[in-house]
Amino acid sequence: MKSGLSMFSLPGYDAFLGFLLIAAAVPILALVTNKLISPRSREGERELTYESGMEPIGGAWIQFNIRYYMFALVFVIFDVETVFLYPWAVAFNRLGLLAFIEALIFIAILVVALAYAWRKGALEWS
Amino acid sequence: MTIATSTELICFLVLSTVIVLGSLGVVLLENIVYSAFMLGGVFMAVAGLYLLLNASFVAAAQVLVYVGAVNVLIIFAIMLVNKREELKPIKGLRLRRIVSGAVCIGLLVLLVRVAIITPWPLPGPIAIGEEATARIGEHLFTDYLLPFELASVLLLMAMIGAIVLARRDVYDSELLAGDDMKEGLIEQTPTPLLVDKSSP
Repeated sequence: MKSGLSMFSLPGYDAFLGFLLIAAAVPILALVTNKLISPRSREGERELTYESGMEPIGGAWIQFNIRYYMFALVFVIFDVETVFLYPWAVAFNRLGLLAFIEALIFIAILVVALAYAWRKGALEWS
Repeated sequence: MTIATSTELICFLVLSTVIVLGSLGVVLLENIVYSAFMLGGVFMAVAGLYLLLNASFVAAAQVLVYVGAVNVLIIFAIMLVNKREELKPIKGLRLRRIVSGAVCIGLLVLLVRVAIITPWPLPGPIAIGEEATARIGEHLFTDYLLPFELASVLLLMAMIGAIVLARRDVYDSELLAGDDMKEGLIEQTPTPLLVDKSSP
């Protein structure tokens, strides 16, 4: 690759592209097969959202409990923490003891956040 | 043009088409839930664009943080305020649309102008591929240490602020419209959860 727009140098992503195409094909194939071979009748149980599950009560456009939002927020905090800690784990061998202590400080501050959420009952359901 | 570069060009064109059409869908679709899922698709396509630029760590962070966290938050926020209401039509809608359209086109002209007159250094610096993540780690723990530690303090602040706001919300809504809210809940618990036990 001497000329061209830019140089793509990450190895192993041809397999990634293959997986991506297969994964994209799965839902399309599932829906198309369903359309092709399923019986045409639209009566009785067929009209339910979940044919073999519980019968849904009321509409789907309801206001959900704010507790779901709390769990999502706690998840976001620790998701971002993971993203920050990953480069440290990759470069762990080169960084040495000082970086280890720095990462411990980082985790300790976030443990305070977790302790606060725990103390205020944000992690409990009922 | 080799196979690699043409594959890259095709990937770039597909990704940019997805991004442009998806963003238009986010703005123009009537149903806000569709918009939110469209936004997730746009974020995924942007991650693909980062991958095409040899930034695998940034792509992974994009998927984890934007698709996995921010988009979930947006969908949960929609679920929270998802009450069917009769909305009144706004006065002067046509004028508003014209003004906002003009502002958006002005911004687009500005960005296109910047993209055209910037002297891009081509080809850019040599990509370091898989080495990049370790390099980010080295920078994060040496010369960018203070921002790194400040990020944890920022996350702590975000967590405390969210809990304080959500506690007040649960308290208010269950106090004011307890019966009304319970109809929409999946399970029915009589006591508000996030209210401090020590407060009266």
